Amino acid sequence: MSDRWVSGRQASGRRVSGRAALRRVGPARAAGAAAAVLLCAFPFYLDAFWLQVGLFSMAAAIGAIGLNLLSGTSGQLSLGHAFFLAVGAYGYVWLAGEPGPGLPPAVAMVLAVCLSGLAGGLFSPIAGRVRGVYLGVATLALVFLGQHVMVNAEGVTGGFNGRSVPPLEIGGFTFAETDPALVVLGVPFGAEERLWYLGLVLLAAVWFSARNLLRGRPGRALSALRDSEVAAAAMGVPVARYRSAAFVVSSMYAGLAGVLIALAFRGIVPDYFGLALSIDYLAMIVIGGLGSVGGATAGAVFVTALPLVMGRYADQLPLVAAPGATGHAIGPTEAARYLYGAAIILVLLYVPGGLGGLFRRRVRPPTPPVRQPKEQTP
Amino acid sequence: MTAAAPGLRVRDITVRFAGLVALDSVDLTVEPGSIHALIGPNGAGKSTCFNVLSGIHRPEHGSVRLDGTELTSLAPHRIAALGMARTFQNIVMTSGTVADNLLLGRHGHSRAGFAATALRLPHAVREQRAQLERAREIAELTGLGTHFRTPVDLLPYGDRKRVELARALCLEPRMLLLDEPVAGMNAAERARTAGTIGELRTRFGLTVVLVEHDMGLVMRLADEVTVLDFGRRIAGGTPAQVRQDPEVRRAYLGAPSPQESA
Repeated sequence: MSDRWVSGRQASGRRVSGRAALRRVGPARAAGAAAAVLLCAFPFYLDAFWLQVGLFSMAAAIGAIGLNLLSGTSGQLSLGHAFFLAVGAYGYVWLAGEPGPGLPPAVAMVLAVCLSGLAGGLFSPIAGRVRGVYLGVATLALVFLGQHVMVNAEGVTGGFNGRSVPPLEIGGFTFAETDPALVVLGVPFGAEERLWYLGLVLLAAVWFSARNLLRGRPGRALSALRDSEVAAAAMGVPVARYRSAAFVVSSMYAGLAGVLIALAFRGIVPDYFGLALSIDYLAMIVIGGLGSVGGATAGAVFVTALPLVMGRYADQLPLVAAPGATGHAIGPTEAARYLYGAAIILVLLYVPGGLGGLFRRRVRPPTPPVRQPKEQTP
Repeated sequence: MTAAAPGLRVRDITVRFAGLVALDSVDLTVEPGSIHALIGPNGAGKSTCFNVLSGIHRPEHGSVRLDGTELTSLAPHRIAALGMARTFQNIVMTSGTVADNLLLGRHGHSRAGFAATALRLPHAVREQRAQLERAREIAELTGLGTHFRTPVDLLPYGDRKRVELARALCLEPRMLLLDEPVAGMNAAERARTAGTIGELRTRFGLTVVLVEHDMGLVMRLADEVTVLDFGRRIAGGTPAQVRQDPEVRRAYLGAPSPQESA
């Protein structure tokens, strides 16, 4: 959480590890910069399919970072994340679209995020009264409530068939195909290419803000809530306020993810925002490793990209039928679900820190042994 | 660190857990600047008393006044803000390093909210740096300076107990509640912690209330002792007076249970 603070100012006993810390900051920074450059170059080399995969992964990563803050850091189990994603997605579509107020899409996007936060805030009085599994079941109700509203409030949501998503426009720049096609360095920039950069910027902003939160005062208060509410309260943390703040912030991230998902799909339907989506998000943060931003991102990419990529290469995989094939063969989507089911079990059994922990363990040297005073008592 | 040491006046506190009377009309007066020990056999209600003082349990009736302020209707974090800090009998710590734990203790002394922290606004960054310095000072003071960056999971038991003490000190309290501060420690660690507690009192004018089974430590450190048995106050006075009290000898000192003599 706080490796940035490790420095040469340490007392001499820890000097060695301090130097090791400096040595490892270098490669980590370099790797980060290289990854950023690589990600920015992708639209010039990858086709629309891979950009779509990346886009969905980025949106999922934003949502997973939000859920991680709520369930991973503050320890409040939520099965209702799909609901907050839906509030963001439908909020954007309604605010920017017709029927609806038809606001400028950029404004609609910001308002949709706020709307999700508001939904989280409205739910938090309930969240303040139930804990653990009971909270999980209470949040489950949100998913069913959301489904009901999405299917029945046809004037706003378009009902069962959903609605098409108005493209985002910021300062005259449209994140969709335009008539005189935009060509950058000989590559035509369609919706995917443009949204790719939008996704990158949003993910970077979310990554940055969530890491700061986790490393700062609010993050410490939230993880104290997870470890012991009584101790947190005795240390001066207003428990109820922080529990609901975790819901609000996490829902805002979910709302942003919902907007990005809507933009990537270009059409949204109630079916997508079901219980399975909530479970997917829980799978992401568990596979990625609870409590870390990098882990949530890794888990999100894994869970999102796996079914899509397997679908694409289904014909080359043994035992997996092509999409749409009839008979008893396992389709690519099912195969991907089995695989990530297996992945969760493997991670739980062998990698307690999740994918994020795996990465950390590889990058960081083992913690130096601690001076062990002679102890007689256990 | 503090202006004037406060006095604590506990009057007629009763706590019941589903028919079990944990505290029965308990009175307790802690003089400002003193070290007050709360002793009694297991189940006497010592920890329950601490939980009432820090606002975790609300008593059925009675009053707790810290410098005239009634505490029984306040939430724990408000009581903490009034300058009451505590440690726990079983170590309760958040994951992360010693620094993370101490900074949690600085929560009430810092302001940075969600937005300012997320955006790394300059004042939030400055505040974090200042709080870190303060936490480091307190770590040095309690002998944890070399472990400042060590994850608490890796610390030996005695040092973890000290982290709890240091974290409570980070609140810069006027009154410190210590629930068995030396339980499970070896002789050297006990002596060291006892020294620290005495030093803190003289240096910062802290008022200390202490639950402890180590009678040697209690007799040496405490200015005054209150004895509880089955939720009732059975004796009180200076350590010497309490040691002579026949009721206390019967309830507690005369028949130490096996794990206390271990």
